[in-house]
Amino acid sequence: MNPSHMRHFLLCILIFTHALSFAAKVSIDPSEWGDPLGEECVSCHQKSSSGLAQQWQKSAHAEAGVNCLDCHKASVDDVDAITHEGQVIATIVSPLDCSRCHKVEFEQQKGSVHSEAVSLIENRLPALAGHVGGDAIVAAGCDQCHGSKVTVRGDGSLDPRTWPNSGIGRINPDGSKGSCSSCHGKHRFSKAQAREPSACVRCHSGPDSPDKGIYEASKHGMLYLAHRDEMALDSDSWIAGKDYVAAPTCVTCHMGAAGKLKANHDVGMRNAWSLNTPVSTKQYLVVFEDGEKLELPASETPPKRGSELTKADGSLGKVKAVATPKRRRQAMQLVCLECHSKAFTKSFMDQFDAVVNLFNEKFGIPSTQIMQALYSEGLLTPTPFDEPIEFIYWELWHDEGARARHGASMASANHTWWEGMYLVGRNFYSRFLPQVEQIAGKERADELIQKTIGSSEHHQWMKQPQKTNPILGYERGPESTGKTEYE
Amino acid sequence: MNSKDKPHFISRHVIYALVIGGIAGIVFMLFLIEFDHLTSSEEFCTTCHSMEIAAEVYRQSTHYNPVSGVRASCGDCHVSEGVFAATWDHIKGGKDLLAQISGELFGPDYDDPVINALHLPAAAFEARKWFKSTNSATCKRCHVLEAIQGMRANTNSIHREETQGKSCIDCHINLVHRKVPDEKTFKQARWQKMVEEEFGLAPGSARQLLSQ
Repeated sequence: MNPSHMRHFLLCILIFTHALSFAAKVSIDPSEWGDPLGEECVSCHQKSSSGLAQQWQKSAHAEAGVNCLDCHKASVDDVDAITHEGQVIATIVSPLDCSRCHKVEFEQQKGSVHSEAVSLIENRLPALAGHVGGDAIVAAGCDQCHGSKVTVRGDGSLDPRTWPNSGIGRINPDGSKGSCSSCHGKHRFSKAQAREPSACVRCHSGPDSPDKGIYEASKHGMLYLAHRDEMALDSDSWIAGKDYVAAPTCVTCHMGAAGKLKANHDVGMRNAWSLNTPVSTKQYLVVFEDGEKLELPASETPPKRGSELTKADGSLGKVKAVATPKRRRQAMQLVCLECHSKAFTKSFMDQFDAVVNLFNEKFGIPSTQIMQALYSEGLLTPTPFDEPIEFIYWELWHDEGARARHGASMASANHTWWEGMYLVGRNFYSRFLPQVEQIAGKERADELIQKTIGSSEHHQWMKQPQKTNPILGYERGPESTGKTEYE
Repeated sequence: MNSKDKPHFISRHVIYALVIGGIAGIVFMLFLIEFDHLTSSEEFCTTCHSMEIAAEVYRQSTHYNPVSGVRASCGDCHVSEGVFAATWDHIKGGKDLLAQISGELFGPDYDDPVINALHLPAAAFEARKWFKSTNSATCKRCHVLEAIQGMRANTNSIHREETQGKSCIDCHINLVHRKVPDEKTFKQARWQKMVEEEFGLAPGSARQLLSQ
């Protein structure tokens, strides 16, 4: 197979080999569920915790005859098995449990950025949550979105430091990763609910991922709010451009079916960029033989099919396929094309890419280089967050920088500029650089700054202190009357 | 009735024997009642240190500090009602006393909190079997099914409608003493690890201690 055929083949893998309808039809025989012993649970739970029983009664599960025990049953050897009114059950229904029926979705989410959400922040946690926050924050904050490593205590109970938790990358007692109920609210499991933006914004609303505000401030969000009744959220088939055209939700672009593009429960698959790093990189998506996945910077040589590679969790995996950033972008664009022209789509992506490149070149790379120099010269202690500049740098890329980049990716002008890049710039010029001078001394700071941004065209304006502006600053140019605007 | 009609074998000695025997019987029964009463008390049970370990957790429980003010003592739950059944339970319980004494001499020493914790699950499983075998009779001394109201709205109907073929112990375990999983799902290795962590012991040492 020559390279172009290969690429085409991989794009096909990315787009066409997944489930044919939005939620894959359950293919196992109905005799596999409807455990008669499970009927007994309902009678009591209508009286005790009746809210959850009633939610279940309204669900498609109840309609199909899937009862409590079908999901909650456990074998006595299971790590988290308990006996409950005579039945051996587990409180936690893991993705592996769901996969008894929903195999396709399980395989898709396996190894996705969502299911790997714990390992993604594992190295940050000790400094951030440990130093700045505390254990209580890990349990009630970080882990609630990223997921906890659920542990079972000697007495069989779930450790309250790790549960309740429905974080999307939760590491379950059975070893599986993820939590379907992170997006699919139990015990109703309504598909309409999971298609709503609210399913995502429980987590995607903080400074590092301010997607709630961005979506709401975008044209997409505007249309969704106005035409929500035309969204066919309850429809079995939910293909953008066919079953609904009013507006896209988060699901539509990041995992939904659109035209020929099939739905996929790997929600990060269509993302070409990493937008939550100090410097954004375009990324390969490596798919391993066992279904796990890994993202690699596009600057690295793509791994060959069949070669061995270290996975996110440290184990070795055999590479099955590699999707280039370009292919990932193409998948995303297939959604756009259901409503937009090719030229519109391409130009929008160009605007987005330009913002990311601007952030990288103007602020991300220089600030990262300066920080590395301060560390290597011993001007900063290796411990994160014990010096003010470490907060300044962190907020520059993690909060403000992420907001600018996400804002551009989903077309919120306000987040791209005022809530994003403006704050990055203000931070860089008025806090970060002065701090560098304070830490390194004027001479060394000037050297460092000169070395990192001295030749960059983005920062040349700093060398022209006499350059005037008709509104801002003080007018002292040749045309100046010597007065400010408000005089 | 005159003495001539008396059967010839009822001599004066026999009458003495009957009277003395009768009194002795009554005294013995009174003794048993008192014995059962005394040996059912918390004070008596906790004269063994190993039982004091069990009692520490009990004193935090609602059975020790109930809103109603009706305190259930050791024997109220663990000793059957009726003098014969109670005595029999105490005779059976004597094996624990033997184990306690022989343990103090030759080991395992149940007064040692580590040993105690390691053996607790086995003791809990035995106790639950006993409750099951008596149909939770001692619970029902105080808890009358028809009178169970509970805090939640439907506690009463749950107990009326969902309890066929079950007795209290089938659903209610871990109310009073240290929590031990049901025997079916109990994981020995995990329990031992928990004890090791709790007492700062080297990994694997619990297993060694248990095999002693």
